[in-house]
Amino acid sequence: MSEVVLSVSGLQKSIGGKQLIHDISFEVMAGEVYGFLGPNGAGKTTTIRMLVGLTRPNSGEITIGGHSLQKQFIEAIRHVGSIVENPELYSFLTGRENLEMFARMSGTVTKERIEEVIKQVELTEAIDQKVKTYSLGMRQRLGIGQALLHSPKLLILDEPTNGLDPAGIRELREFIQYLAHEQKIGVFISSHLLSEIELMCDRVAIINKGRVISVGAVHDMMEQFADHAHWFFTEQSIGKAVEVMNNCEYVYELQALSDGRVKCRMDTERIGELNRLLVHADVDVLRIESKTVTLEDLFLSLTAGTPGEEGENHV
Amino acid sequence: MYDLVYNESLKLIKRKRFYVVLLILIVLIPLFTYAQFRSAEVARSQIGTDDWRTMLQQKIVDTQNRLASSRIPPEWRDYLETQLSLQQYYLDHNIDPSSPGAVTFARGFMDQAISLFLPMMIVILAVDLVSSEFSEGTIKLLLTRPVKRWKILTSKFITLFLFTSLTIVVSLLFSYVISGIVFGYSGWTMPVLTGFTFSADTLDTSSVFVLEQWKYILMQYGLGWFVCMVIGAISMMISVLVRSTAAGMGIMMAALVSGVILTQMAANWEQAKYLFNVNLQLTSYLAGTLPPIKGMSLPFSLSVLSIWGIISMIVAYVVFIRQDVR
Repeated sequence: MSEVVLSVSGLQKSIGGKQLIHDISFEVMAGEVYGFLGPNGAGKTTTIRMLVGLTRPNSGEITIGGHSLQKQFIEAIRHVGSIVENPELYSFLTGRENLEMFARMSGTVTKERIEEVIKQVELTEAIDQKVKTYSLGMRQRLGIGQALLHSPKLLILDEPTNGLDPAGIRELREFIQYLAHEQKIGVFISSHLLSEIELMCDRVAIINKGRVISVGAVHDMMEQFADHAHWFFTEQSIGKAVEVMNNCEYVYELQALSDGRVKCRMDTERIGELNRLLVHADVDVLRIESKTVTLEDLFLSLTAGTPGEEGENHV
Repeated sequence: MYDLVYNESLKLIKRKRFYVVLLILIVLIPLFTYAQFRSAEVARSQIGTDDWRTMLQQKIVDTQNRLASSRIPPEWRDYLETQLSLQQYYLDHNIDPSSPGAVTFARGFMDQAISLFLPMMIVILAVDLVSSEFSEGTIKLLLTRPVKRWKILTSKFITLFLFTSLTIVVSLLFSYVISGIVFGYSGWTMPVLTGFTFSADTLDTSSVFVLEQWKYILMQYGLGWFVCMVIGAISMMISVLVRSTAAGMGIMMAALVSGVILTQMAANWEQAKYLFNVNLQLTSYLAGTLPPIKGMSLPFSLSVLSIWGIISMIVAYVVFIRQDVR
């Protein structure tokens, strides 16, 4: 496995006497997109603020590119590019002036690098306009530009698709995957949208109420929480139906219940396909119910055993 | 550090704060010039003569009449007595205190502007240097760079002090150039009295000496610069402590205005002399007017202001470096 660019262990944070983060630990490798998934108020932004040194953890260790963020701030933060919450840039400056300003602060960025980044985020035409004239998508791209300027090893993006249109989200997704897989940057993305994380990330940590409740490859996790379908058959045809369904490779965890109901897990988009197969096999289908697993269901099932903290955690 | 100061200056200029200050000066100085011109004219028509000696004698008689009245409060009496001795001194030494000219106007301008007008200009420059970064969210970009927090705040202080100095220079330049159109550009070498000291609560003229006006102006604008630096430091602290520009502006304006009110009212409340806002009228020590509260002197006011400035900077640094950014 490749190099660890971000390592977090035992992170804790309480604000105003309320513990927001309980013992969060994870590692992000170079060249992977790491998702940080949780509902609003789970502690995502609080964690990210600690990762970029805006707030101090009460305990725990953050190591970026081999340097402790708390003890060697300059060396550690040099490897980080980030957008925390919205991409807030100086709206009274042009895009280029913004980038030049951050370049001066990093001290290692050449003029050529600025041009390269402008091209990379596709802002060549608008770069000399004031940022206040930019659309949200352009701001987001400029935000990514400033994060990439100093060629960081770790890119931290907080809810990067907020407010983007579907085309913009898709573009961003491809760009992020390019950065991770081609340029070998470790990308850390927080989101409250399951679908987004599913499409974008290689691995994911699910957090709720300030705790990591599950870590794994996105693929495995999705399988674990795939959608359900409930099928209702007549009593005569149920045997036949189970036989047909068992032969489908995309149906799993099949459960035949006594009341003529068959529960299974499958991609709900393929229900029509399966229905056609059943009809061809002379099975009478009375009713089909699809149950899409929402993020809420996922959290409910994941947090079922864990005693949750009371109250809401505002970030 | 040069790069950081460059960044901060760029932001200050592009935010148009300095333009606002320049614009205010350009609009108001002609106004003051006109007001000065009018009052000189009115005085002339009332007394009916152009001769300054007659005018000064008139003033002395005026003051004596007021002193003769039994109803005036004692602190007012002290003040009038110093006025009187000063006017007498001018007359005896053949010095026209209000001889018109751009330089005299510039001197008068600083006398009037030092306690409220110029500090307000500095507040405009300083009060959102830090708070705007918070309210616009750009503080997150600023503090996630490989630069220590104290360096970022230092670059802001240096920028503020640069522009404060520039404001002082520009206001001298503007008041000289603009008023010169009306009053003429002479007066650099006119003699001015200074060196007044206050023993107990009476004006001591024993160490008074005559100074060429350009030297006097230099001293005056130096004191103005010092006041503005201290106000800048205090505004910065407010800017660090208060996240909203409007609130910061309100606090500083209230502090400055209440200083003006206190200097009129607090003659009997001696502890008030440790407040920064009653110590801003530094130029009156040069001109020889009695301080608002007993026990105040130029070294005293300078020390009080220095302590306020230094403490403000310490508070600003400690809070800025240690705070969690949310």
